[in-house]
Amino acid sequence: MIPNAPEIGKLAFIIAFWICAIFLPVWAVSWAVGVFLPMIIEGQNPGPELALVADILRTATPILSVLVFIPLNAMFMVLYERRALALFTVRMGPNRVGPDGLLQTAADAVKLLLKEDITPRGADAVIFTLAPIVFFAPSIIGILPILAAITNNHPLFAITNLPTGIFFVLASASIPLVALVMAGWSSNNKYSLVGGLRAAAQAISYEIPLVLSLVTVCLMAGTLDVVKIAQQQDGGFLNWNILGGGALRGLDAAIATALKNQDWAPVIQAFYPYGAASFVAAIVLIFCSHILLGLYLTGACAEINRIPFDLPEAESELVSGYNTEYSGMKFAIFFLAEFTNLFIVSCIATVMFFGGGDNPFPQWFLDQLPLAGIQAGLGSALSFLINDMRLVDPDTFWAAIWVIIKVYSLVFFAILIRGTLPRFRIDQLMDFGWKRLVPLSLIAFLLVVFARVLVVSHGY
Amino acid sequence: MEQYMMLHDYVSNAAAETALFYLISIFAIIMSVGVISDRNVIRSGFILIGVFGAISGLFLLLQAQFLALAQVMIYAVGITLVVVIALMLTNPRSEKDTSYENEPVSKDGSPISPFQRLRLIGPAFVGILSFFTIYTAIRSESWIASGEQVSPDNVRVLGTALTTTYSLPFEFASVLLLAALIGAIMLAKAERPTPVIEIGIDE
Repeated sequence: MIPNAPEIGKLAFIIAFWICAIFLPVWAVSWAVGVFLPMIIEGQNPGPELALVADILRTATPILSVLVFIPLNAMFMVLYERRALALFTVRMGPNRVGPDGLLQTAADAVKLLLKEDITPRGADAVIFTLAPIVFFAPSIIGILPILAAITNNHPLFAITNLPTGIFFVLASASIPLVALVMAGWSSNNKYSLVGGLRAAAQAISYEIPLVLSLVTVCLMAGTLDVVKIAQQQDGGFLNWNILGGGALRGLDAAIATALKNQDWAPVIQAFYPYGAASFVAAIVLIFCSHILLGLYLTGACAEINRIPFDLPEAESELVSGYNTEYSGMKFAIFFLAEFTNLFIVSCIATVMFFGGGDNPFPQWFLDQLPLAGIQAGLGSALSFLINDMRLVDPDTFWAAIWVIIKVYSLVFFAILIRGTLPRFRIDQLMDFGWKRLVPLSLIAFLLVVFARVLVVSHGY
Repeated sequence: MEQYMMLHDYVSNAAAETALFYLISIFAIIMSVGVISDRNVIRSGFILIGVFGAISGLFLLLQAQFLALAQVMIYAVGITLVVVIALMLTNPRSEKDTSYENEPVSKDGSPISPFQRLRLIGPAFVGILSFFTIYTAIRSESWIASGEQVSPDNVRVLGTALTTTYSLPFEFASVLLLAALIGAIMLAKAERPTPVIEIGIDE
């Protein structure tokens, strides 16, 4: 019997409540702006101006949904992190505001917004004000290509699908770094300055393994386009990039053929054309993609300054690092951006390694279950919502559900890491980055380059 | 619904592109003037990021998405940050200490030597010379304007060009960078005699 089962139950309840509280408004806003208002406007035979308004509304859907999502998500993530950490360290966690501390972070947000906004004497006021903005803005911009990938390229979100996809995300993820140095320097405080410089040194070092690991995944996929990368991995966990970037696609196809009582040997032959060498290459690919995931998560943790890489804001050494002098609204923006970045990092991992909005069950497994009847029944029962009101898009809906599950599981993993590992020392951090991770990422890159020729994988 | 001008038509017509070009250019020029006129070197380093950002906006207008993003990632963030950090570490003169720029007189009051005078007008001369070189180069060359559509997947085009047509220059550039890297490591690792710290108790 698990002794802290009630605590786990409470945490699960908080997660369920807040996920509804986040995604129902996001859903409502996207539907209202993208579908309902244009439908009303176009319903009454509008002139050119009104038609343009409808078009602008439709185009603005992705950015509006992100703007609704970010503050709600940050509130949830703070509570999630505090309660989960409490669970790991056998404490209670916030449990007074609302039932079981459900509304703790909502109260915190109100408090932060009402606090006085102070600019310290001797600070460079313009840069001091600009820093939180520069820190936060790229996280809104950077999530856009991912949006297209996780909604299964829904027509409303297809506008955010860029051909340079993952490179766009990486480029906008590198901008907050400037803001950390700006904040540290303009605060006119030595702890802030050291924090900002540490952030810059750390992020520049860890960006190399991070980018190299994603580049290797793009190499396996043969494209930079996140939507294509997500779509390649459709059809069960055997196709996900975490298992060798489609190295097991042949196995998947062979099982499907075997279940149909056909000869599966030619399928294996088609996907693994070089016999034993191909099998070795497939194993190498699977091994490498696990290393790549590890490299990515390590690099990403360092990029967003989470424990064990939170040296820029090490409170025992630097008070609070670059945001020591910030208060009120500006501090809230830093806080918001940090948790949004954690979400984005998990989103990228989901799309690049865990198949995006794909369900983990292979198609041949789903065919065994009586799902077709349920699907048809649900489709006809909800036909009014799907076809007339266009409130639910089945493709996007299931993709969104799976993405939510995967992303928040990865966030849980990040919190687990935070609760488990102690902080690095700055010289160990640099050693680890440059002498271990960078060579490891180059070796993985080289192995993948040679191994993927021998196997029919994604992007072959 | 098809007959009306939609948002896409407004954004992608030539007038909007021209207007955006002028807006971004004005922003870039103002930022550049800010970089050279700001008394505080570190702040001008931060303003430089704005210049690079505006230039990446120009690349975006030219539909060179990859170049624009590389500009942001490498110039606006990587290189500028390294420069700013180097400035912080070398402890530049503060904004009050501007005597050096304004007075063309040597410190002890004696008339300035020709060498010092050269040092004062030298940068201006180099600046004007390079400006006119680039200006004439851009204006005199008859540029071949091709009416070919820009491929939306221009990363692929770039990659193919770099590994086939331009593979030799590409390799030369990488050898050059490698040489620079090794040189930097050699300079940084140069063994200096460790200073002997004398802890003597003098009577």
